[in-house]
Order: sequence, then structure tokens, then C-alpha cells
Amino acid sequence: MSDTILDIRELSVGYGRKGLALDSVSFSIPRHAIVGLLGANGAGKTTLIRSITGLLKINGGHVVSGSVAFDGQPVLGLPAHKRVGLGLAQSPEGRMVFSRMTVEENLMVGAAMLPRSRQDEGLSSIYRFFPRLKERHRQIAGLLSGGEQQMLALGRALISRPKLLLVDELSLGLAPILVNEIYGELGRIARSLGTTMLVVEQNAHVALKYVDTIHVLDRGSIGYSGTAEEAAGSEAMKRAYLGEGQKEGAA
Amino acid sequence: MTEAPITAVPRRPMAKAWTASRAILAALGIAALIYLPFLLTERAVFGVPLSNGMLLNLGITQINLMLIFMLGALSLNFLTGCAGLISIGHGAFYAVGAMTGAVVGTQWGLPLPVVLVAAALVGALAGVIAGLPSLRVRGLYFVLSTLAAHHIIIFIFQEYQFEFFDVAGVPYTNPALGPMALDTPIRWYFFLLVLVIAVYWGLSNILKSREGRAMRAMHDHELAATAMGADVRILRLKAFALSSAIAAVAGALYAYYLTNATSESFGISFAIQFIAMIIIGGLGSLPGSLFGAAIWLLLPSLISGLAANVGDAPALVRVLLVDNRAQFVQALFGSLVIVLLIFAPGGLPDLSRKLGRLFARERGQ
Amino acid sequence: MFAQVLFSGFALGSIYGLVALGFAVVFKATQVFNFAQGALAVCGAYFAVTAISILGLPFPLAILAMLAASALLGVIIHMTLIQPLSGRSMLAIIMVTIALSIVIRAVIEIIYGPQGRVLSTPLPTGVFIVGDLRMPKLHLTAAATSWVCMAAFGAFFRFTRVGLLMRATADRHEAAMAAGVNVNLMNRLAWAIGSVLAGIGGLFLGQLQIVSTELETIGLLALPAVVIGGLQSIPGAIVGGLLVGMIEQFSSSYISPKSTDIAIYGFLLLILLFRPWGLLGDQETGRV
Repeated sequence: MSDTILDIRELSVGYGRKGLALDSVSFSIPRHAIVGLLGANGAGKTTLIRSITGLLKINGGHVVSGSVAFDGQPVLGLPAHKRVGLGLAQSPEGRMVFSRMTVEENLMVGAAMLPRSRQDEGLSSIYRFFPRLKERHRQIAGLLSGGEQQMLALGRALISRPKLLLVDELSLGLAPILVNEIYGELGRIARSLGTTMLVVEQNAHVALKYVDTIHVLDRGSIGYSGTAEEAAGSEAMKRAYLGEGQKEGAA
Repeated sequence: MTEAPITAVPRRPMAKAWTASRAILAALGIAALIYLPFLLTERAVFGVPLSNGMLLNLGITQINLMLIFMLGALSLNFLTGCAGLISIGHGAFYAVGAMTGAVVGTQWGLPLPVVLVAAALVGALAGVIAGLPSLRVRGLYFVLSTLAAHHIIIFIFQEYQFEFFDVAGVPYTNPALGPMALDTPIRWYFFLLVLVIAVYWGLSNILKSREGRAMRAMHDHELAATAMGADVRILRLKAFALSSAIAAVAGALYAYYLTNATSESFGISFAIQFIAMIIIGGLGSLPGSLFGAAIWLLLPSLISGLAANVGDAPALVRVLLVDNRAQFVQALFGSLVIVLLIFAPGGLPDLSRKLGRLFARERGQ
Repeated sequence: MFAQVLFSGFALGSIYGLVALGFAVVFKATQVFNFAQGALAVCGAYFAVTAISILGLPFPLAILAMLAASALLGVIIHMTLIQPLSGRSMLAIIMVTIALSIVIRAVIEIIYGPQGRVLSTPLPTGVFIVGDLRMPKLHLTAAATSWVCMAAFGAFFRFTRVGLLMRATADRHEAAMAAGVNVNLMNRLAWAIGSVLAGIGGLFLGQLQIVSTELETIGLLALPAVVIGGLQSIPGAIVGGLLVGMIEQFSSSYISPKSTDIAIYGFLLLILLFRPWGLLGDQETGRV
């Protein structure tokens, strides 16, 4: 078992006949780390996440070249559900809960790949992490608040005990207090379950507080990589990306 | 909707350089169109008789019906392919025209030109009424409202038919254009040919006009059309009115040409034919509409021609071509439409382009 | 007469509800408005004819064979026609189902001949008479079977794991993929179920009348049924089916037999204009 859980090598991705959305992106994620992926709107974050999870094709994109290995296994040829089966879960952007189903049913969809005997255990662990979901377990998910829907999307991804969790744009449309609360909880979960996390954020200031290392995407390429502390102290990083992150965060 | 951004009349930058040869081609085309009906009725070239097979088993009746269906295909493609309004009840406007013909022509005894003008007016009115739901509902719901409109129109025809006529249907007699009686297929041919050319010319000019461009914009993006200063709702109703008027005229002609019509002539499968034609010819393409109608109306004759020549072919061929010819043609057309939808959304011309490219690549390797 | 009409409306409406349920399952899963649902009902009836009259299988085995064939047909349609068209325009998808129904009708007429066939099954015939009310046993069996099937599929979607995953897929495709659901498999299953339900409906329609391609028109009453009930609503499909059966029988008995189409489609038009999300659908999710 190597120390690297996700290894992306020179990945280039395009949509239709337009130019490349990702141009030769390489980075890797060590096991048990919390890694941030930053970048402005349109920098290619969502494309990168889709390439990793296998949702690229249904969104009209295709891999031009490069490779993605998860836990030592190349995954680009696998359909999305097989990747989840390997332990690569995601909490998608915009939360995307099953809005006409109850909270518990939403979680059970995430638990469907577990053996039946472990489903109840999974459910109760999620309720332990997010007690609010337990209170509302019979409610229709579409009627939850934004924060609760975000918790539900995270719970649905975590219930199968993935090795790597991709969290896409968690802070989008949520109040700052709530964002801090949920990130705090995610940090605790990562430590207690040993889950590796890749956190995609537009709001750099929030992300820097909770991640160990960051990679910044800039117009389809990695523009900066470093630890969170280095990044917070780096003048170049601040000028180039954080200023923009701040604007976006305020907007 | 993302399909078929096809222009009505492709302009080639090379056109000028070819003026002379194009003029010759055009002259030859016109000559062929003029000679065609005589060829098909005399079935001989300069006194030399031709066999059925050499004439592809075609008769003038198929050609005339083809021209009548071309009007329907043009008008539906204008509505669906260009303005983006899907109607699965388009055949019902043929019924509206036939019914107008029954009242104005058969019952009141007025001459054909009056019938056609009346059919256009009633057709436009019916089109506006059938298009009214487009003000309230979109997409699939609108498609269903055209299906409901179809059933309602056919019901009205049926009630009318049984009130004033009988099961045998409505007779249509003595069509004439002023002093000229439309009593031979050749006369019909020239009248219909002129009509198809006029409608084609009219529609392509409308598509080039300001409103036409707004209509195409409406197909692609409603906001874009609004930005062009068009009231999208009015534009939709106008498109419906024009398209239905043309279909109703074609319906009246259809009834007169066949000299009889019943409500059963215009069932849902009649309506579906027109959608098939524009898919075969290419959505949004006016020349494609003509092409699609031609394939739809002429291919069955070709197959009948084949059937006459099978002799003692294998049993399966006999079963398909001779015993079940109608079903075989249906299956063939259905499969053709499916194949085109999956592999060539631009219709047969699109398919042949794609195949051509494929072969070129094969040869290149 | 009223009770008699009510009874036949209920019995036929139950069958329409069953076919409409199959339609709604397919629509919810794959957003395909399947104009071939009537043709699928015809296929079910002919599968039964083949298994019973031509192959001479014993009745229970024949029914199993017919169900399996219907399911397989649904899966094949999804794989060969629907999947390649995913993401394409509504006209393309509607038209492919219409073209499919044309092909199915033609192929059946080539294989079995255009004239109808009698379906002989050991299902009970005869009539119960209660007062003035005549209740043919066949109608009762058809209605009872339809309701058992509808209840069984209701329970399947509500209580089983696969049912849960199918509902998730229908609710939100991309989220289901993200959550690790094999969306393609679920869609294929939805087509299998849709086709099987149409097939059972076709079996009974063929039994009540005669098996011919004309059954397609009756099977197609599922379309107005689902829209009247609410396109996104599974109970709506059943209620819509019942209503269409009632409207058909009442207009035929009290107005004229020719008026059934206009009564059904006129009602459909009213629904489209004033409540497009259907009787049981909710306004938010009913937009298409």
C-alpha cells in the first residue's frame, strides 16, 4: 500500500471541439491528508472533479490525455458507480440531494453498496456526526435548509466509509457560521475515520483554515502548490489568487 | 434543443464562377420537370416504349400526390424545424382543408380557387386556435396539446361527415381553375408544381426576412428572439397560422385529387407521415422537406416495382415484397427514421455525407 | 345502467392504469415519453399467443415466458434506441418511439398476419350477476390482477433496495451517479418493468377482445392517462388510467360510441390548459 491515494498525471480534458478545460494537470494526494483545490470560477475545478469521479462524459466532456490512479488503480476507464465502489466518494456541487425522498432514504442510497449487516451501523455513525440529520430523518430532503442539505450530501457520501472524499464547493450559498461549523465537523470526521479529503473551494480564505496543502487551478493548469501556511504567507499567492478569492467570497 | 442549425438555402461562395454551367443545369432541370408528366403518361421516349421497370414503376399519380405531400412537409418543417414548435397533429390541418372544401366546394358549389382561399383562411384560424396552448404550456405539454387538437379536429370532421354525407365520405367534383378544368393528371401536375415552387419560394423568403430570423432565433433561444425585438408569443401564433394555412390548402387539394375524403383518411398515422418526411429530409431544411416527401411517396412504388420482378426469388423475399408489401414498406420507413435519428440527425443528406466521409477515410488508409 | 357502466369503466380503467403505470416508470426514470407503450402492450399479447397457441406451453409457464420476453424487449429497446439518444432533443426521442411502434406493428403483421388471433387461456369465463349488474369473470380477473401488480410494484419501489435506487435515479440522475448508483442498470430495469406492465395489460386487453395490432390504440390511452394523473406521479398514473376508463365507458354509453376519443382528449386538453402538472402531480416538479 503506497502513501499516495490519488495520483493525477498530465491530465488534459476538453469539451466538444473547444479548447482544453484542463491542460496537463498533475498532482497527487497523500493518504490521510486534507487537500484543498482552489481557483476562480471557470478555472477547471469542476472539470477536474468530474474527471476523477467519472461524471465527465454525461456533462459532455472527454479526457484528451493523461491518467488518474486511485489507490494504485487507473480509474479513467471505469464508470462512476465502480469508482464509488472502490472507495472514491463525492459530495457534489450544489448539494444535489434526492429532493423527493426522505433524509434517511437519501442516506440509504449511499449505504446501498454496504453489506446489509453494516448499513444500520453506517446510518448511526452518520447520525452521530450530524445529529441534525437524525432529528429530521423522516423529512423530505427537498424541504431541508441549505446547511442541512449539505450535511445530507456529505453524510450520503461518508456512509460507505470511502477512502477518499471529494467535497465540491461546500460553502456555496451557505452562511459563514454554518460553513465553519460543517468544515469543523468534516475535520473531526476525517481524523476519526482516517478519511482522505479533497476539498474544492472558491473561497480561499475559508479553505486555508482547514486544509493541510493546497493546489490552485488557474485557467486549466496548476498555478500554485504548497502547504496552507506557505500559501497564507506567500506574497505571490496572495496577489495572484487570494485577492480574487476574496472578491468572489464577498460577492 | 440543440439540433439542426441548418440553413434553408446554402449559399456557395463558388457560385459566381459557375454561373454558366449552373444556368445550363437549371435549364435542363426545368426541361426535365416539364417533360416528366408526358414521359410518365405516354410511357415512351420519342415513340420508343419504355417498360415499367425503366420508369421505376412510377406513375403520374404518385408524382402528383408527392407534390401535394410536399406542401405538408414544407409547412411542418417550417413550423417544427425552423420555428421549433413540435406538432404531431399536423395532418389534422389537411382534414380542416378537406372539410372546408366539402362545405365551400361540394355543398355550396363554389369554384376551386375560392375553396383554396377559404381553406387557407380556415386553416390559419384553426392553426391559431390549435397554437393557443403554446401561450400557456411548453415542451412536451404543448406536443400533447397538438395531439388533443388532432383528435378534436378529426372528431368534428367525423360528425360533419355523418351529418351531411355518409360512411362513403365526402365527394369532391369538377375542380377547375377558371376556364381550365383540372381533369387530367398532367394539368394537375403543372398546377401543383407551380404551387409547390411558389410555397417554397415564399417560405424561404420569409425565413430570410427579419421575422424569419427571429423565428429561427426563437427555436434556438427564446431570449435571443426577444432581444431582436420580437414578441415571441405572437411569432409562434403567426408561424402556426401560416403553416396550418398551407397544410389546409394541401388538404383541400388532396381531397379534390382523390375525389373523396372521410374522417378516417386523416388519422394519426396520416399525421405522423409528415414528421417522418422532415426527419428523413432533414429538420429545418426546406429542400430537405421536398426530398423527404419524395422518398416517402416514391419509395413504395419502387418496391412494388421490385416485387413485380422477383419471379421465383427465395421465399423470404416473396413474403416481404409480395405478400406483405405494405407492412414491409412501413417497417423499412420506421427503421430508416430510427437509424437517421440515431446516426444522422440532419436526415438522409446528412447520412450520405457521413457515409461519404467514412468511405473516403477507409480509402485513404 | 349506471352501475354497469361504472363497473366496466373500473375494470378497463384498471388495465389502463397498469399500462400507464409502466409508462410512468419509464418516463420518471429516463424522461422518455414513450409513444410505443401501446405497441409494447401488443407485443405482450402476441408473446402470450406465441407461448400458448403456437408453442403449446402450459399456462403458468407461458405467462412466465411472456413476462420474460416483455422484459427482454424493454431492455433491448433501452440499449439500442434510448441510450444512444440520451441528451438529444425531445422531438428525436418522441419520434424514435413513434417509429419503433410503426416497426413493431409491421413486423407483427408480417409474422402473424394482419388478421386477429384468439387468445385461449384457462382464465375463468362466465358472468357473476348481482341484481341488474352483470360482472364478467374475465373483467374481474383483469381488474384484480392489475391491482395486485400495481400494489406489488408500489411495495417494490417503497421497500426494496433496488426500488430505492430506482427512485433515487429518477429523482436526480447525476446525484445518483455521484452516490455510486449504476444508473444505466436502473434505467434498463425501468424499461423492463415498463414493458412488462404494458405486456400484462396487453394480455388482458387481448383476452377481453381479440389479439391484433389494433390493441395498440387502446394501449396508447396510457398517454392521456398519465398526463391527466400527473406525469411525475406514480399514483397519478393509476388514477389517470381509472379516469380514462370511466370517461371512455360513460361517454360511450351516455353520448355515443364515437365520442370516446373526443371526451378523453378534450379532457386532456382542459388538464393541459388549466392544470398541466396533472391531478395528482405537484406544480413544482410537474414542469417538463
